[in-house]
Amino acid sequence: MVIAFWICAALAVFGALGMVFSKKAVHSALFVALTMINLAVLYAILEAPFLSMVQIIVYTGAVMMLFLFVLMVVGVDSSDSLTESIKGQRVPALLGASALGVILIGLLGNITMTNIGFDQAYVAYDGNIDALAGLIFTKYLFAFEATSALLITAALGAMVLTHREHAEKPLTQRDLSVLRFKSGNHPGSLPSPGVYARHNAVDIPALLPDGTMAEISVPKPLAARGAIRLIDLASKDEVQALNRGEAVITSQSTDRVEE
Amino acid sequence: MNNVAIPILALGLIAGAFAVFSVAIASITGPKRYNRARVDAYECGIEPTPQPMGGGRIPVKYYLTAMLFIVFDIEIVFLYPWAVSFDSLGIFGLFEMFLFSASVLVVYAYVWRRGGLEWD
Amino acid sequence: MSSALIADITAPSVNYYMLAPILIVLGGAVLSVLVEAFYPRESRRSAQIALVLTTLVVAFLAVLNIKVDAILGFTIVNSLAIDGVSVFLQGLIILSALVGALLISENRIDPLGDAFAAQSSALPGSEDELAFTERGWYQTEIWSLFLFSVGGMLIFPIANDLLTLFVALEVMSLPLYLLVGMARRRRLLSQEAALKYFVLGAFSSAFMLYGSALVYGFANSVELGDIAKALSASAANSNLMLVGGIFILIGLLFKVGAAPFHQWTPDVYQGAPTAITAFMSAGTKVAAFGALLRVFYVALSGLAWDLSAVLWAIAIITMLVGTIIGVAQSDIKRMLAYSSIAHAGFLLLGVIAQSKAALDGSLFYLAGYAFTSLGAFAVVSLVRDASGEANHLGQWAGLGKRSPVIASVFTLFLLALAGIPLTSGFVGKFAVFAAAYEKGLAPLVVVAVIASAIAGFFYVRVIVLMFFTDASGDEVSVVVPSFATAAAITITAVVTIVLGVIPQPVFDLLSNALFLK
Repeated sequence: MVIAFWICAALAVFGALGMVFSKKAVHSALFVALTMINLAVLYAILEAPFLSMVQIIVYTGAVMMLFLFVLMVVGVDSSDSLTESIKGQRVPALLGASALGVILIGLLGNITMTNIGFDQAYVAYDGNIDALAGLIFTKYLFAFEATSALLITAALGAMVLTHREHAEKPLTQRDLSVLRFKSGNHPGSLPSPGVYARHNAVDIPALLPDGTMAEISVPKPLAARGAIRLIDLASKDEVQALNRGEAVITSQSTDRVEE
Repeated sequence: MNNVAIPILALGLIAGAFAVFSVAIASITGPKRYNRARVDAYECGIEPTPQPMGGGRIPVKYYLTAMLFIVFDIEIVFLYPWAVSFDSLGIFGLFEMFLFSASVLVVYAYVWRRGGLEWD
Repeated sequence: MSSALIADITAPSVNYYMLAPILIVLGGAVLSVLVEAFYPRESRRSAQIALVLTTLVVAFLAVLNIKVDAILGFTIVNSLAIDGVSVFLQGLIILSALVGALLISENRIDPLGDAFAAQSSALPGSEDELAFTERGWYQTEIWSLFLFSVGGMLIFPIANDLLTLFVALEVMSLPLYLLVGMARRRRLLSQEAALKYFVLGAFSSAFMLYGSALVYGFANSVELGDIAKALSASAANSNLMLVGGIFILIGLLFKVGAAPFHQWTPDVYQGAPTAITAFMSAGTKVAAFGALLRVFYVALSGLAWDLSAVLWAIAIITMLVGTIIGVAQSDIKRMLAYSSIAHAGFLLLGVIAQSKAALDGSLFYLAGYAFTSLGAFAVVSLVRDASGEANHLGQWAGLGKRSPVIASVFTLFLLALAGIPLTSGFVGKFAVFAAAYEKGLAPLVVVAVIASAIAGFFYVRVIVLMFFTDASGDEVSVVVPSFATAAAITITAVVTIVLGVIPQPVFDLLSNALFLK
């Protein structure tokens, strides 16, 4: 038990230090997970199986997931800015923190704890979880019910801070399709380019059955860049001749119009 | 107490061993030919969309989902000891739990009515 | 599992009659979430205001009801204590909340609407925000959050064990963190304030929780009475108890805004919507001092000697920081924030003194300060220019000539804060200082009087600025408020004068205000 404690405690402290010192936020989050799992093992060693499982389910599972989501909202690659926004706070903060640590170790380090009533409670309540239930639903009933107020506030707060409602209802797929037909423009998909052309290419407009060019068949960015290869009248005749079966495609006749 | 922990410990060890095994066996037995496509994220064969500044930020809506998950997760945690000691708690325990769940359910109604569960 | 052998867990006895105010407020809060869920947007705001005001009035009647019958005691296995102090504090908190609710409901003084962002989740200046503002839609969740916060404040001073105390602290604070960040104007400042408040508040909660754990290690219980018993039973005070006690005090001192845990106060008071600042400055202070007094009087009195050096230092630093840094402020809300820090320092004298007279004095002080502070911030919300509130002190120059009534009322509040006779501030200060002097705290009283004199300087400076300085030319006007704010200012001004002129009825009320131990 003592060996397990020292292993888990060392790992937990290592995780905590790693969280502070790693530059990438995701690494920090994973270090926190390490600390949390080791704490859970410590709880299990101390014969608090329920707390141990809750630690894993709520902290390692849910809270760590929330951390990772928040990191992704902020951007995974964004690392902490190491410039001090308040000048000269780092040294005093470090001194203060170490002073607190030294004082705590000095005052609490030599305390010996005796285990009072733990075994009796186990016997009286038939185990850890029943004992917890006996406290939560009697002595700490009010704190327990007040926790529901906390949960409501948390959900309300998350909604208020992140859920954006739109003044106008956003259009659904159905609305959009109704609009598309009402507008009288092109309701279906646009004709694909290069049809009836001598070579299939996105930059050559399709020809309509009467032989005119369908300019909507060419992607607009290409048109804007002026990269459309128009089919001149001669080649249109050629195509019509092809249609009538009077001409045969030869490799020489596929020279490009604009070249 | 220890005999209760042993199956859990064993399960944890097996799970850990399987994870290590799966990763290790692939790198040991598999062929090693690296190219750029292998380290790319797979997105249905389409060239991955270039990420904006900061390397891939996701909408804040995920945060709402995660937060709501935690809220109801914690509610479940309280349900567990109640369920285990249901027999000794009796009817007042049922009432207390009902009050607690009903209060949290109220906020569920709020989230649902205001479209917090919709993904638009 | 041989659960058949285990005796049934028996139901705790709940005294619904004594808990009525809390249950009514929390029930109202849950109802208000239902209103949010099921009411159409157009009628939501008026429904919420009606619901909140009704809830608070009914809760206040429930408090009066307890007072009349005077059936006092612990309930739910000693986790809550209903005694004279808690009934007084609950009444005070509900009255402050009522005035606060009037201020929050104000939507006339800003042409755009109330003091809160039309949609807090929309980016400042975004199309969504504009669309909501144009349509005159409000963020009505503030009312649910407000009621939850009031509920937490009601539990905080009556919590009789550290666990309930901690949960109450969070129920009280969590909605406030949100409300602080929802201002309509200067939204980034407001959001920054909320974040600072949240991070520092979570930090101080962690201290308090750690302290509770250490105290549990010492006393084998988190009940305040048991802690006192364990303290008197142990011959030598354990370090565990000392460190634990100090950590719990840190958590509480953070909430009352005592130095050196006061850093959040100016930023949060400045950034929050002024109505919320007003409500916080009254409600949080009353609730947190109530809890501090209870923890110190009931649980830690055996530790008073060990803690006295720490508390003396904190009280002196708090008074001096509040007054000396307050003098240098040029923003009216920051100035009032430092004033609230100074008042926390004065009130700490009542905590250290540990006598019935000091307790009465502190409770009276809290009552006077709550109303004065509510009134002062209400007036601040009325002085505006084109971009919102005109908080810079320079803009207040010459206000007395243009709006003599508002300037006079503000002068009254400033005099009460300074502790000039015939105001509630004087009576409260006198009662606390006299009680402290009786208990041999003369050096502290001397520091307190000096600090009061310095503080008097910056209150008088504002009065001089308003009445005897010419306007700087900035277009500042006093907006005519709706009935709600006018009523709030009138009530607070009347209470400030009445408590100053005839304080005796309140002291009579306080005669049976004792802590159950």
